[in-house]
Amino acid sequence: MTDGTSVETLTGSSHRDEQAPGIDPALAAFADRKVSVAVALAIVLAIGVSAYVLHGQSSPALAISLLFGAAFGIVLQRARFCFFCMFREWFDDRAPQGVLGLIVALAVGLVGTTLVFGAWLPDAGTGRLPPDAFIGPVSFALVAAGMVFGAGMAISGSCVSAHLYRLGEGSATAPFALIGTIIGFILGFISWNTVYLAAVADASVVWLPRTLGYAGHLLVAGLVLGLIAYAVTRSAPQKPAEHARARDQATAIFVDRWPAWIGGAIIGVLATMSYLRVAPLGVTAEIGSRARQLAGALELAPTRLQGLDGLRGCIAVVRDALLSPNGAFVLGLVAASLASALVAGQFKPQRPRIDHVLRGLTGGVLLGWGAMTGLGCTVGTLFSGITAGALSGWVFGASLFTGTAVTLWSGRRLGLLPRG
Amino acid sequence: MKSIIATTLAMGLGAVALATASFAQGSSPLVNGEWLEKNLNDPKVRVVEVSVEPGVYERGHIPGAQNVVWHTDLVDTVTRDIASKEKFQELTRKLGVDQDTTVVLYGDNNNWFAAWGAWVFDVYGVKNVKLLDGGRKKWEADKRPLDTRNASVQPGKLTVSEPNQKLRARLADIRAASDSKNATIVDIRSADEYSGKIFAPPGSQELTVRAGHVPGALNVPWGRAVSEDGTFKSADELKKLYAAAGIDGSKPIIVYCRIGERSSHTWFLLSKILGYDVKNDDGSWTEYGNSVGVPVVNVAGTVWSGK
Repeated sequence: MTDGTSVETLTGSSHRDEQAPGIDPALAAFADRKVSVAVALAIVLAIGVSAYVLHGQSSPALAISLLFGAAFGIVLQRARFCFFCMFREWFDDRAPQGVLGLIVALAVGLVGTTLVFGAWLPDAGTGRLPPDAFIGPVSFALVAAGMVFGAGMAISGSCVSAHLYRLGEGSATAPFALIGTIIGFILGFISWNTVYLAAVADASVVWLPRTLGYAGHLLVAGLVLGLIAYAVTRSAPQKPAEHARARDQATAIFVDRWPAWIGGAIIGVLATMSYLRVAPLGVTAEIGSRARQLAGALELAPTRLQGLDGLRGCIAVVRDALLSPNGAFVLGLVAASLASALVAGQFKPQRPRIDHVLRGLTGGVLLGWGAMTGLGCTVGTLFSGITAGALSGWVFGASLFTGTAVTLWSGRRLGLLPRG
Repeated sequence: MKSIIATTLAMGLGAVALATASFAQGSSPLVNGEWLEKNLNDPKVRVVEVSVEPGVYERGHIPGAQNVVWHTDLVDTVTRDIASKEKFQELTRKLGVDQDTTVVLYGDNNNWFAAWGAWVFDVYGVKNVKLLDGGRKKWEADKRPLDTRNASVQPGKLTVSEPNQKLRARLADIRAASDSKNATIVDIRSADEYSGKIFAPPGSQELTVRAGHVPGALNVPWGRAVSEDGTFKSADELKKLYAAAGIDGSKPIIVYCRIGERSSHTWFLLSKILGYDVKNDDGSWTEYGNSVGVPVVNVAGTVWSGK
């Protein structure tokens, strides 16, 4: 871990061997943190009640976004589903499990999203794009955004979504990384019009099912994912890491780290359901619009962002509502990951040290600029993009991991980034 | 005895059914959710959603409804104009509209774009076009069912007419009406747009170099015609409301807004509910306020976005 919390291992957190006498074995895992568990239950209950109330107030989109966010937060926290950590486990130790988990998530999401698209756009070749999918222009700007975002992951130790769930774990880096992200977004707004005119305006928006058909796209994407899976497995150490067997089901679910592929499979299903009901998964829309409000108040950013503020008739995208569906999603994510961490005994707030602050802010600024310029992050542009059949998702993903690898390698050579 | 009760009940129900059917089949330009839900399986009824938010239709629409995208299906994307006759003809075929079909349009945002759709349908002479009163908002509030499946319909055989220019006001028409005062001009934008305090609602990107309104235009913001639940106020209320503003149908009427789509909502109620002679100016303020050599009234004193 780069933010000072305990080092992640594939075997999950250790737990005490001794068991208090007279305790139900199913509850033994939580015997030493009854208060934490009670607080976690209260949080989960509060999320449920909030969703119920919102639904009753004719805000079903907010209610369901809150619940999707909560489910997403729990899975992220339980599976330690962090794009950077998964990549780093392979990059440093050639441990393929994390990357395979990501591939499972993409594969399940691809199948699920294609099912949804088949109903919405029976013919992918009509020239129309599925509504509000993360399908963006493919340009040099996207490559640059990916590289910069990847560097930000390496420096701050996570992508934006993982910083959000680590906020719930009391991470010392996450708050600074998120502040940095907002600053980075504002820098992205300032540079956007120049970047747009130089690279984005004439770039092609490539939706793979349009040329390959749904079936062809699934075959090609499946083949690419299969090749990546083969490559990372082939380079794996001869002896795979032993999974410590949990003594009971409760420990396996609530304390130990879930196998990455289970987390990935659940995220693939969540992504499909979320797209069907509200919007594709993404965690930066709300952060971006808040950053834009701030930039507007400080008169830092241009009032018009070319190509982004499009014609919407009389309906303006003015963020005056207290909470957008994406805002509810992010709040649900953070609150539920806190509850999940409390139950697991992984809520360990730390006093920030200067290196937490510096690396959080620096990495965060890069994450923010990359997410704004790339029109999304690892969850939106990469994950939701690839599952929707966007070439931009693949390009952003390849650029991002290249940026991470280069930054890790050079940062360690220069003694600026620790190993592990 | 039982049979008498059953017969009476059946007759009563039949009368109710006839009454609700005639509600749509008759002269009313509106249908309510209750009627529509009962008639969803009628092959002579085609339900069409015209919403502005992308993904709204896909994530749940009225069962059997088809989707029309206003800014690509209903407009000409090259010239600033409504869809060409050929393009619109193709659209009605695709939607399965025949000579005797009742087309029910509805959408988000208080039926703004559905009303715009109704205006385009009317321009091309499609009869029996109704709005679902209250649109999506009321349908959802009444907890009526939604569906995510695509409807498949037999292609329609309707032949559309030449565009009826009597329903459209062009820049020359609104200029002439402003000078001669032989028509009532209604500006349905907000009071701040009308006065020139602001050039457009916040976030709108299609702007004009000047703010204000057409000389002689009366300001009745479109929202005054709508109840809290999104439905139109009653015909009597509407009549009073517009009469109080000096609009009584004694002269032809021209309505405009910023891009011609909110004004369709007012065009619909004045022409279809109150039966007045109304033209919609789809060039609206974005055409008028950018034209060279036309006078504007600007009480706020804004010129070229300065003072």
